[in-house]
Amino acid sequence: MRQPRHRFGEHTGEVELTVEAPSLAALFEEAARALAELQAEDAGGAPTRSEERITLTSSDRDALLVDWLNELVYHGEVNKCVYADVTVARIDERELEAIVRGREPLAPRTAVKAATWHGLRIRSCDDGVEATVVLDV
Amino acid sequence: MGWSQSFSHVSDAIYEADRNARAGMRVPARIVADEVLFGQIGRDRSIEQLLNVATLPGLVGHVVGMPDMHEGYGFPVGGVAATSVTDGVISPGGIGFDINCGVRLLATNISRGDVDVEPLLHQLMRSVPAGYGHGGRLELSHADLDRILEGGAPEIVRRFELGSEEDLACIEGGGQLVGARASAVSDRAKHRGRDQLGTLGGGNHFLEIQLVQAIYDREAARTLGLELDQITVLVHTGSRGLGHQVCTDHVRAMDASLARYGITLPDRQLACVPFASPEGGAYFAAMCAAANFAFANREVLTHRVREAFREANPNAVVRVVYDVAHNIAKIEQHGGKRVCVHRKGATRAFGPDDDDVPAPYRAIGQPVLIPGSMGTASFVLVGSGASTLSFASACHGAGRAMSRTAARGQVKGGELRRELASQGIAVRCPSNAELAEEAPIAYKDVERVVDVVHRAGIARKVARLVPVGVLKG
Repeated sequence: MRQPRHRFGEHTGEVELTVEAPSLAALFEEAARALAELQAEDAGGAPTRSEERITLTSSDRDALLVDWLNELVYHGEVNKCVYADVTVARIDERELEAIVRGREPLAPRTAVKAATWHGLRIRSCDDGVEATVVLDV
Repeated sequence: MGWSQSFSHVSDAIYEADRNARAGMRVPARIVADEVLFGQIGRDRSIEQLLNVATLPGLVGHVVGMPDMHEGYGFPVGGVAATSVTDGVISPGGIGFDINCGVRLLATNISRGDVDVEPLLHQLMRSVPAGYGHGGRLELSHADLDRILEGGAPEIVRRFELGSEEDLACIEGGGQLVGARASAVSDRAKHRGRDQLGTLGGGNHFLEIQLVQAIYDREAARTLGLELDQITVLVHTGSRGLGHQVCTDHVRAMDASLARYGITLPDRQLACVPFASPEGGAYFAAMCAAANFAFANREVLTHRVREAFREANPNAVVRVVYDVAHNIAKIEQHGGKRVCVHRKGATRAFGPDDDDVPAPYRAIGQPVLIPGSMGTASFVLVGSGASTLSFASACHGAGRAMSRTAARGQVKGGELRRELASQGIAVRCPSNAELAEEAPIAYKDVERVVDVVHRAGIARKVARLVPVGVLKG
């Protein structure tokens, strides 16, 4: 079974994020952790904020990933925190429900403006799913 | 080489590809570059992105890549496209998330020998919030924010009594785009930007204390009030989270509308709708509002800079030379047509005698401000109004040549900080990793980029500014 993991690839202007995981839910959770890692050096520390529930409906699976990351960018900016502690409670091709807990970072790093649709793709593999998304930083 | 092979070197600084370069192109593509820069541009996916832009409906003339062009998302950074306002589209990707990201040049009456940079930079750091998610000090009510979205920089001067009337005469469009509607901006966007007015933000945004090191055109420099050894300040920032959210909202809405308008695209980030459609009108009104927020942001920062300089020297006078956007869409006349010029990482460069150039500068052309990478020179040029060549557009900076990952692999932030200090450049940046990502080695040679723009007849060089203090966002 493929373990959740991510890497930041080569992109001249922005940040190209590739995520892989055994399931769609795990993929979305890993993408959130990658975003938080980019936003703060101490993203993996204990959450300092109370639980928030996020529900989304999008036009398709690719759009759902962009909307998910943009939702976290929005909540993070207005709440001054990052979200590495996430649980995707329910997900299908167009809808998602998640529980997230924020952490106010002590060592903020890269300001992420948005997740983009450029080069966006979620691919199903034998042992899981893989996605690539470009983040505007 | 890939897509580079589709281009012919047609003149000293121009490469062109006809509309058969790839399927679906509606107009040719043109890149302003010399051989070295064209080679650098060809190393990433920016040329493919420019050819994708050439497939948008309703394009006029050709699409243009600037010499600082590099890979972006949807549009390349350094891309220009003009669409008909009657049968063309508007694409938020052609403006970018940071709507009206731009630069403002401030000139002072202080010479290099009359200022101690370190304490001045320290004071600027205390009064200008920078970095990720940092709120500013200007708290706004809902009504205040709406007024700023429609009123731009003049609202900051007249209602908040920050900045001055004289500043407004030297801002692109007077610092207020009249097409703005606050009601077109979502509550989310307003919520995101409410505490960010008067902040730099992160990424490549900065505030630099600079020194006029060389003058190339004495008469133009005199008109702009620039002289050798003069201290200047360059502010580079935009519409912050408010603008980012406007783009996010409207790309999503347009993506959902593509089928209804029968638009197919090679890249979803190029999402667009007819300019004359309700969705197009809503985006343009929201984009103008976000642009006004950015003009207001740079006006507040100008006030902060004045405060800091006056604390260092009570006789300090800080004057706005010019303020120009490099991520924006404007309605302009080119080739007798009314078009929507998308400039994504490109600077308007109107020539002499244009009514949109501030009266004091109308004899020399619109100031074009080109920031270099951290630690390298920035340039002041004046536009030539090269409408046929580039829709009167110039480059916007040095342009990245290396990914952030690669830059971090080659440069250590701490070492770079010491190296810049040894060159007499003081730096304030909270993160060594972010400092490394913006290292000069990660960018193209700004001198070469500016020389190409000068040689191509887009804008001519007036002055060269070198940094002595950098406050990085």
